[in-house]
Amino acid sequence: MILEIENLCVDLGEFKLNGVSLKADRGDYIVIIGPTGSGKSIVLETVAGFYKPIRGKIRLEGRDITFLPIEKRNVSIVYQDRALFPHMSVFENIAYGLKKKERNSSIVREEVRKIAKILGISHLLHRKPDTLSGGEQQRVAIARALVVKPKLLLMDEPFSALDVKTRENLRKLVKKAVKKYDTTVLHVTHDFEDVFSLANEVAVMKDGEIVQTGRPEEIFSRPLNDFVADFVDGD
Amino acid sequence: MGYAMARFHFPGKSVIKSLMDLPIAFPELVLRLCLLLLFGQTPVGKAMEEAGIRVVFTKLGIVVAQIFTALPYAARILYSTFESVNPRYELVSRSLGYGEFESFKNVTIPLARNGLFASTVITFARSMGAFGAVLILAGGSYMNTETLPITLYLNISYGNIGMAITSGIVLVVLAFLAILVFEKVEGGL
Ligand SMILES: Nc1ncnc2c1ncn2[C@@H]1O[C@H](COP(=O)(O)OP(=O)(O)OP(=O)(O)O)[C@@H](O)[C@H]1O
Ligand SMILES: [Mg+2]
Repeated sequence: MILEIENLCVDLGEFKLNGVSLKADRGDYIVIIGPTGSGKSIVLETVAGFYKPIRGKIRLEGRDITFLPIEKRNVSIVYQDRALFPHMSVFENIAYGLKKKERNSSIVREEVRKIAKILGISHLLHRKPDTLSGGEQQRVAIARALVVKPKLLLMDEPFSALDVKTRENLRKLVKKAVKKYDTTVLHVTHDFEDVFSLANEVAVMKDGEIVQTGRPEEIFSRPLNDFVADFVDGD
Repeated sequence: MGYAMARFHFPGKSVIKSLMDLPIAFPELVLRLCLLLLFGQTPVGKAMEEAGIRVVFTKLGIVVAQIFTALPYAARILYSTFESVNPRYELVSRSLGYGEFESFKNVTIPLARNGLFASTVITFARSMGAFGAVLILAGGSYMNTETLPITLYLNISYGNIGMAITSGIVLVVLAFLAILVFEKVEGGL
């Protein structure tokens, strides 16, 4: 078991996570779905260390990381809005996290080239982020997150702001890249296409709780309650 | 200080924020009088004087007065600058292995560059133009505790209009230069 989230409770005043539990094996691709405001992003950001839980535990590779500082977790996060550092080139963005761990700059260069090739952005390395298209930017953000070989990759609606074709293309690239890097993924989305083409496990959230987890077929064919049935049926 | 105000939420934050803004809205002379009294008559002032630090009617007084005039503006600009930098950048930097301070240095400072520069320029300009505070605290005596606005004032009261206009022009030119430099740097980004 690489990730164990146990009875996680986070109190943000108006909003609370109420005992979220979730497990992932190495290489799992878990997609989290649920209505807007159900707490999907909060789950990711608590795992990343941005919020302190009031109860519960997060274990990563057997180690309790519940209160570990963000920078000690080796958990990468990718956002819908990319959050690329605008004052750095694409190369510098991707190399950023790697430089912290790897002093040898030729190894850094090599690793950046490798991930850039996998994601098809080798020709963009000298550019500034704001000169790239949305899809290109997102590939850079994913490269920056993966190149440090995170124990866990978190993605919060990574394809939401993109057109259908770009999304399709990115799904394929992400699938290939996380396989190559043997990464475990938590991916939040509103797009069931992400579930079908990427997930081997799905978690459905509602009001700060996970109401069902299971393989994609299970969720769609045997929803546990009316809410899940409605949610996966509606859309 | 501006950074702390923008990033952290703590009880009494709004009170501190208002206190920081007070010198901007407060009648200038009243405030300066307080300063004068603080450094002159109170135990604070006496203790400093015994330690050999004389503020009132000295050149040091000019500096102190200028700091007190410009600081609230600087803090204000820094506050809104740091507030405008999305904290997400810093969090992403930390998730990539950098500590709080390193992330601040590598990401937040460069993104806040314009504001930091604006704050410097305005602080400088405010300091140059500080009048009331300098006059009260440093006394504004000829050739000793004189700053440009005070030269201007002294010359007016002597009826030396030529000198007054000259120092006025120097002040305006300096302010203009400050803005010009600011525009240049900002435009170059
Ligand atoms: N820092 C915060 N403090 C207090 N409440 C917050 C904070 N961040 C988010 N919330 C609230 O928590 C709730 C859950 O937010 P969250 O972002 O996790 O939803 P979500 O499931 O990701 O929704 P969406 O699909 O729209 O992204 C929302 O009602 C939001 O307003
Ligand atoms: Mg969200």
